[in-house]
Amino acid sequence: MEATAQTSKGKSARILGWLAVIAILLGLYVGLIFAPPDKFQGQLQRIMYLHIPSILTAYLAFFIVFVGSCLYLWKGEPRDDILAHSAAEVGVLFTALTILEGSIWGRPTWGVWWTWDARLTLTAILLLIFVGYLMLRALTEDESRAAVSGAVLGIIGFFDIPLIHMSVKWFRTLHQQASILQPDKAPWENVAPPMLAALGINFVGFVLLFFYLLSLRLRLGETTQEIKRLKLYGRS
Amino acid sequence: MGVVLRRVSKAYGFLWALRDVNLTLSHGDFVALLGPNGAGKTTLLRLLCALHYPTSGEIEIDGEPLDRGKIHLRSAIGFLSPDGQIYDKLTARENLRFFTSLSGKEMKSAEISAALDQVGLGPWSDVYASSLSHGMKCRLAIAKWSLLKPRFFLLDEPYGVLDGPGVDLLESFLKNLCHGGAIVVIATHNVHRVLGLCTRALILQGGGIIFDEPRREPWKSFHEAFANFLPSEA
Amino acid sequence: MGTLKQTYWLLWKDVLLEIRRRETLLSMFFFGTVLLFLFHFSFEIPREQTARMAPGLLWLAFIFTGTLALTQLFQGEKESRCLDALLLCPMDRGALYLAKVFFNLIMMVVVEVVIFPLFGVLFNLDFWRLLPSLFFVVLLGTIGFCVLGTLFSALTLRARAKELLLPLILFPLMIPAILGTVRAMQILLGAGPGQEFYPWLRLLIGFDVIFMTAGFLIFEWVIEE
Repeated sequence: MEATAQTSKGKSARILGWLAVIAILLGLYVGLIFAPPDKFQGQLQRIMYLHIPSILTAYLAFFIVFVGSCLYLWKGEPRDDILAHSAAEVGVLFTALTILEGSIWGRPTWGVWWTWDARLTLTAILLLIFVGYLMLRALTEDESRAAVSGAVLGIIGFFDIPLIHMSVKWFRTLHQQASILQPDKAPWENVAPPMLAALGINFVGFVLLFFYLLSLRLRLGETTQEIKRLKLYGRS
Repeated sequence: MGVVLRRVSKAYGFLWALRDVNLTLSHGDFVALLGPNGAGKTTLLRLLCALHYPTSGEIEIDGEPLDRGKIHLRSAIGFLSPDGQIYDKLTARENLRFFTSLSGKEMKSAEISAALDQVGLGPWSDVYASSLSHGMKCRLAIAKWSLLKPRFFLLDEPYGVLDGPGVDLLESFLKNLCHGGAIVVIATHNVHRVLGLCTRALILQGGGIIFDEPRREPWKSFHEAFANFLPSEA
Repeated sequence: MGTLKQTYWLLWKDVLLEIRRRETLLSMFFFGTVLLFLFHFSFEIPREQTARMAPGLLWLAFIFTGTLALTQLFQGEKESRCLDALLLCPMDRGALYLAKVFFNLIMMVVVEVVIFPLFGVLFNLDFWRLLPSLFFVVLLGTIGFCVLGTLFSALTLRARAKELLLPLILFPLMIPAILGTVRAMQILLGAGPGQEFYPWLRLLIGFDVIFMTAGFLIFEWVIEE
């Protein structure tokens, strides 16, 4: 019984993974080849097709951390703590990749490795918050204490993110240099439908990828939890 | 006053400190909690005073579950351990004033002085607690609890630091509490001393209760259990 | 009412202990002063840039000094092993949170009252007329710092490398308060558009209220064993 449950979970995870790959490849095609270049920014604008979906996925990850944390403090089920912890780990991955990809694209394109525009800055701050969360958990001695501490930080961090968002955006509008990218302009102000399609498809692809990785990490967490349970209770 | 434990278990990491403990304590019980090191005595005490929460099972005080946020239940519970009860850089008097006020029982200066005199700390009332010996700190803790008057009083190895008069002081305080209907649970290795006072004995071993009987004269079953399970303390 | 009274007694105890031990406040004063000297050697502030740069440097000095106080916040309980004794008391643990927040706030305000004018003197700033309003803005930011910092100080109490971990988790989450305080001060000193002043102030007040409430409610889980 259990063995079949495991294989069917593995099967659905694999399907998720393949769907994610297909969606992202499709999105990349639409974004990089099919969609027209931006009127004002030319080819440089295409980074938005990766940038916006990645950061939205990172925020989704943090939302899941928040939900897991609330549930854990409320009910005390280890499953919710595993969910929060896993979402944070996958979230770190996505956030770090977003920054790396922005940096690598930026160097040949704008000549700089980093620019303090609002979006990149917010991504970097989110990365720091995720890293802080993971370090707090890693450095807290007792495991259930680590889970509670993580949950508290997950909840407080979630309430803070809108405030950070607002304050950084306000701050950046004053320091707006003649940025080639004009990253603070909302993407739908560049109206062409193929562009919206590219964004949409990429977003779906990233979310699918996120849930695929999350499911892998969740299985790891649940297996670890099961081992602990067996050690504690014996094979009863 | 009634305390009920139902299938209470507590795990730390991969180890069980207590496993499936069932216990009922009632009005006027003076319980001697005995057992070798690592048996779970301290864990049990800490669960009973809500410093920790059980991994599974329930603890009820007067029919109400002892959960987070049950402040009114905590006001009935007292816990005495040999250290960690008073602030070093406050005087004896200030410590008493602080803890009684914090517990909602503001005391007049005269009442605090009387409590200090009763435990023999009158001359040291205005001395920093850091200058007091361990035994005197324990007496100060006794003074604190004599003012707070708990209805469920837990003690963890109090005999180690007290001298002769200190022990007498503690025991008369505990006897008065019990006569007033409180429940006292005292975890100790000083079996002979506590046997003279208790109305019931519990022996813990390996996280479970292996002996639980009300006191009788003569108490053959206790001495047998004691010899079997605690030969090192005989 | 009960919670306020308990907060009062807890605060009374902390203030009394600090007056007697005098460790934290003195260290904060000297550390803050040392930082000002470091800033002088590290940053050349041209005259025309002082309004823009001074608020940031001052606020940084306060934050680093404040972090020192935060790591010491539960020191009294740790040394006397009294945390259990407090947790045993029949009180809302939120009262313990509030008392620690106010205590930290008092310490930081005392230090700021000295460092602020010292900063003006050392860096030849002419902001004396504006001192009350500048101080008000700094107070709002300090409240935000104490509110989050106290929570995280308790959170990292039983963690390894807590002196490093505390700033790591605190500083990113402090960004709204840092930006708000610095920008509002810059505007007061004439280095920013006036119409932004009240929005930044509202952000600061919102930050303080949200996290003081959240901290108060969540402290029960934070402080238990």
